This record gives sequence, C-alpha cells and structure tokens, in this order.
Amino acid sequence: MKSGIEKNKNVQNKSVRKARLIFATLLALVVVFFILDIFFGSVNIKASEVISAIFRHTGNNYETIILKFRLPKAITALIVGVALSLSGLQMQTVFRNPMAGPYVLGISSGASLGVAFVILGFSSNITPESLNGLGNWILVAASWLGAGAVMLLIMAISSRVKDIMTILILGIMLASGISAIVTIMQYFSNETMLKAYVIWTMGSLGNLTSSQLNVLLISIIAGVTMSLFSSKMLNALLLGENYAASIGLNVGFARSVIFICTSILAGSVTAFCGPIGFIGIAVPHMARIMFKTSDHKILLPGTILLGGVVMLISDIISQLPGSESILPVNAVTSLIGIPVVIWVILNRRKYSVSF
Amino acid sequence: MKKDSKEILSLDSLKIGYSTGKTKKVLLPPLNASAATGEFIAVIGRNGIGKSTLLRTLAGLQEPLGGEILYDGRNLKDYSRMELALKVGYISTEIVKVSNMSVYDLVALGRFPHTNWIGKIEKDDHERIMDAISKIEMGSFCQKFVSELSDGERQKAMIARILAQDTGIMVMDEPTAFLDIAAKYDILHLLHHLSGDNGKTIIFSTHDLQMAISQSDKIWLILDDDLIEGAPEDLMISGAFEHLFSSTSVSFNIEYGTFSFRSDTMGSIYIEGTGKRYWTEKAVNRAGFSVAKEKTSTFIILPSEINSYWQLSTESKITKYKSVYELINALRRVVI
Repeated sequence: MKSGIEKNKNVQNKSVRKARLIFATLLALVVVFFILDIFFGSVNIKASEVISAIFRHTGNNYETIILKFRLPKAITALIVGVALSLSGLQMQTVFRNPMAGPYVLGISSGASLGVAFVILGFSSNITPESLNGLGNWILVAASWLGAGAVMLLIMAISSRVKDIMTILILGIMLASGISAIVTIMQYFSNETMLKAYVIWTMGSLGNLTSSQLNVLLISIIAGVTMSLFSSKMLNALLLGENYAASIGLNVGFARSVIFICTSILAGSVTAFCGPIGFIGIAVPHMARIMFKTSDHKILLPGTILLGGVVMLISDIISQLPGSESILPVNAVTSLIGIPVVIWVILNRRKYSVSF
Repeated sequence: MKKDSKEILSLDSLKIGYSTGKTKKVLLPPLNASAATGEFIAVIGRNGIGKSTLLRTLAGLQEPLGGEILYDGRNLKDYSRMELALKVGYISTEIVKVSNMSVYDLVALGRFPHTNWIGKIEKDDHERIMDAISKIEMGSFCQKFVSELSDGERQKAMIARILAQDTGIMVMDEPTAFLDIAAKYDILHLLHHLSGDNGKTIIFSTHDLQMAISQSDKIWLILDDDLIEGAPEDLMISGAFEHLFSSTSVSFNIEYGTFSFRSDTMGSIYIEGTGKRYWTEKAVNRAGFSVAKEKTSTFIILPSEINSYWQLSTESKITKYKSVYELINALRRVVI
C-alpha cells in the first residue's frame, strides 16, 4: 500500500509539473502577444521606430500612435479577455451549464440596457466626450446593475428549470426583449442622445479615454481579486448544491459572491467596450482541455492567462496587419469562439448531465 | 471490535416535510428515534413515504418543521454549515458527473471543511485522502476521471469522499439503488466494515428488506402513522414488517425472514422428507400451494440419500422428477 501511495505522489507531482509548464508558457504568450499587439496596427510602423517611441520619447507622430492609441488598446484587450473569460468560467460552474457565458445568457445585453438607461433615459448632457470622472462610474454602475438584474433572473429560472437548452433559449429571449426595449428608447430619444448611444454600441477596444481605462482597470482588479477568493466555493459547487452544502458550503453566500463578481466583470467590460461575444463561453473550455482538470485553483489562473492571450490575438487579427482596414473585434472573437462551442457540443453527447 | 456505543443522534418529535411560503406540508407524525456510535441503521418504508426527506433533514439540507434533531446532544439548528459538515456526511441518489474531475479531486472535496480559504491540500489532508481511497480499494484509480467510472466505482468514490470528510455519521439515500448485484454487495460489505471496524454510524435507506434484515444493527421502519425502531429481529418478532404489506397480496414469512406472495389459492400439500426442503417449499409456495402440516392425499417425497429424485405421489400413481422445475410443472397439472 505504501508503495502505491508513493507512486501516486509521483503521478501527482508529475501533473503539478505539467500544470506549471503550461502556466509558464501561457504567461510567456501573454507577454509576446501584448508586444505584438503594440507592434502591429493599421499604420505600418517599423519595429525600431516602435521601440524608440516607447523608450526615447521622440515626440513624433509615431509616439502619439503608440502611447496614446496602441498601448491603451493592448491593455484594454488584455483586461477584457481576462474579465470575460473569468466571468464565463464562474457562470459555467454556478449554473452547472457548459454553455453558460455572459454573452449567451444575455448578461451583456442586461449591461447594455443599463448603459442605455444612462445615455438615453436620464440625461441629454451625457455624451462620450463628457463621460469622464464621475460619469464613467455612473455608466459602469448602471452596467453592473443591468448585468446583475439579468443574472438574478437567470438564477431564479435555473433553480426551477434544470434543462440547459431551455435556459439558453430563455437567455436568447431575454437578449431579444432587452434589445427591443432599447430600440423603443432610441425611438423616443433626441438626436444628441441617439448619436451618443450609437457611438457607444460601436464601441471597440480602442475608443477608451484614459479615465475610462482607469475605471475599467480598477473594476476588473476588484473582480479578479474577488474571484480568486471564490475558487474553493466553485470547486464545491461542481458537485451540485446539495453535496456542496453537505460538505460545509454556505450556498447562498457563495452564490452571492460569485454573482456580484460576475456582474462586475461582465458589466464593466460591456460598459466601455460594448458586447463582445463567445470569449466568455469558449476560453474556460479551452483551459479545461489544456489543463485536464476541474480544480478551480488551476482553472481560475489558467482561464485568466488564456483569456488574455486569446483576446490579444483577436485584437491583432482585427487590425489585419499589413492592411489599412480594421475588422470589428466582435466578429473575430465569434469566429474564434464558435468552433470551440461547437466542439464542446459535439464532444459531449451527454453534456446536459456531464458537467 | 466496537467501542462503547454512546448515543450520537436522537430525533425528538421531529416533523419533516416541505414548506412553501407560509404553508407547511408535514409528511409524517412526529418521529422519535436514536442512533449510537458505530451502528449500521437501515431506513425502511414504502416509496414516497418520506425516507429521502428524513435523510435530507438529518443532513441539514432541509429545515425540520418541528421537533428537534440532536447531534451529540446539541440541536442541529445550533450548528453552522461548517460545524455540521464535520459531524455528518451525505450521499444522495444524485449522480455526480463532472468532466475532468479525477477520483483524487472528488475525494479531496471531502476535506472542504478542513482546508483553508483557498482549499489548499496540506500533507495531512493528502494522507487522509489517500487513506480514504485505499479503504475503498481504489488506489490505482486516483487519476482516473469520475465520468469514466462504473456506477459501483463511482459510488465507492463518493463513499471515500465522506471518509475524507471524516464525519462520525454517514447519511446515505439508497446507496445501492442503481448498482448490479455484485457491486451492491461490494458496497454493503464496505459499509458494514466501516461501521463495524471504524466506528462510523451509517444511516441508509433501502428497498431491499432482506438485505436490511440480515445486515443492519437497527432498523427505522417508517409506516404511515409511526416510526418503529429496533433490531431487525425485534421487528420480526413483533410482526412490524407485516404493516408494510397489509394492503398487498404479499406476505411475510416470520420463520425465514422472507417474503412470498400469499399462497393459499391452490390448496395445500404435504412434503415428506428432509433433503432440499427449503428450496422445494419455496417452489411449492410460488406455484400457489401452501405446505400442509399433515399428510394429504397428494404429497411430495423429497430426495434422500437413497434416491436423488423428487416423487409426486397422487392417489393413482407415483411419478419421479429430476428437478424442481419438472416437479412444479407436474404439480400445476394435478388437481388436488
């Protein structure tokens, strides 16, 4: 028996080593793609020019492009990837639904409803230009509330309806309903409001002012910190609520923490970058395939790093290096994410019970 | 082997059921029962009477609607979730199928109430996890995924999870429900070993009455109007089990502790001899005859040391049969 335990310890150590290797690789990839994201853009800038722009303060046009545009955009891409992937992982575990994600379940739509209320509903004075300081916090808070409201609704439904497909369809219904409400609000709003809102919906990774980036950064750091505290709870929730409670988890408390965390992560991103699809649902599955574990102590950091990598790659692709046109980043993330989602569906014939 | 058995759990006028909003639906009259350290207790009752509800209430997953549950003399309501998780572990019929979860990870979740905020597995935790896995004899399965296990193996892994949780009491809702015969006895043997040699109090519900009677230390028999507790033999002697079947055409054989369909429809028949009597009587009962105490005009002579045949003797002739099967077929054609 002794040797069996020893042997097992070896296997255990081997898998730990393997996980560490993957972590190191992912970390390296984050750095590499972050740098590449700065180097590539619609304007062709030589690598040597990029480096001198960053380190020598040449003061020319290139420096403006690199420091005022590309660097904030790369940071935004990194944050957005981390936040969406993390909220997707948490939602998949809490709902015990491999198809859950902020976009599919209508959480992003909820967030955009919150934003619509602020821009279209209350004040005609709020325009993207005036959205500085406090205005940004109001916008992001409205987004959290909208995301939270939809989360709450989905949670209430999923405690009664266990069927995954039904919940997905309800998510789509919610998203459609919300976009109908937003359309009505647009119809009744004046030209200035409308223009402000339409600009927001087209929002991409590159349109953030530095104060908006600050708000986003603070919110996501708060969300990520909270999520790191939730790894033990998430592991317990894998077993389902009954077993989780029987091993000592306060299920109500755990759900609230994860609920707040997810709303902050998905809501903040949507507030400033608009709805970005399929990152939240796909990246956690990619992490599961990579690490071959269900342990959130590994999956959480793994998803964080992988989410950053995937979003940076998406951003680079959307720049179409070498050409002057730019693709909407949402289209790129969909093209990357959807195959993964289809793979998950096809590879788990019994995925409705096997999560 | 058992240490001094002290009372570890008692139910005091416990009311179980569901409450939706303001309306409470109490399933059973107030229940009184108790369990001692190291006891193997079977909960018996017909489908839908509230066995699962009782077990869920014991595990703290459902609020009692009245009365008290005392663990070590302290009311369940005064335990926090964490404290309760150190006292009682729970397995339901709900099947855990998580992708990419290894047996080790599943068993490690049992350490939940013992680990720190992030759930770090310390050396002591690791040893207890390995100990639990070796107790269920699945040492080579550590890195295998739970979703790849057979029903029996998965159930054993779930039991290892409770062992790692290190609770004095294990509450299990039909632990052998979806298992084949071999796996079922495998699990039973394991549970019996855990309660006897490791001092775990195991409370489990089952529909297999014969198994419960032969294996358990105590039975909680739930009837529509009462909970009767006692050693299986006590309940047998008092005829309590008869209540389970009062409305059906099944009867309980006190002598053998077995069940048979009421068999007085075809008449009675005398059986002479001793060889293979037990199984012959069972077959005769099944064919619809009762066994007569005194000699009847048609009777059966059992195989003996001299002849290996069953003989069916009627008024007109004596016929020999090689097997019980042939004997019964012939018996069915005979009009008594």
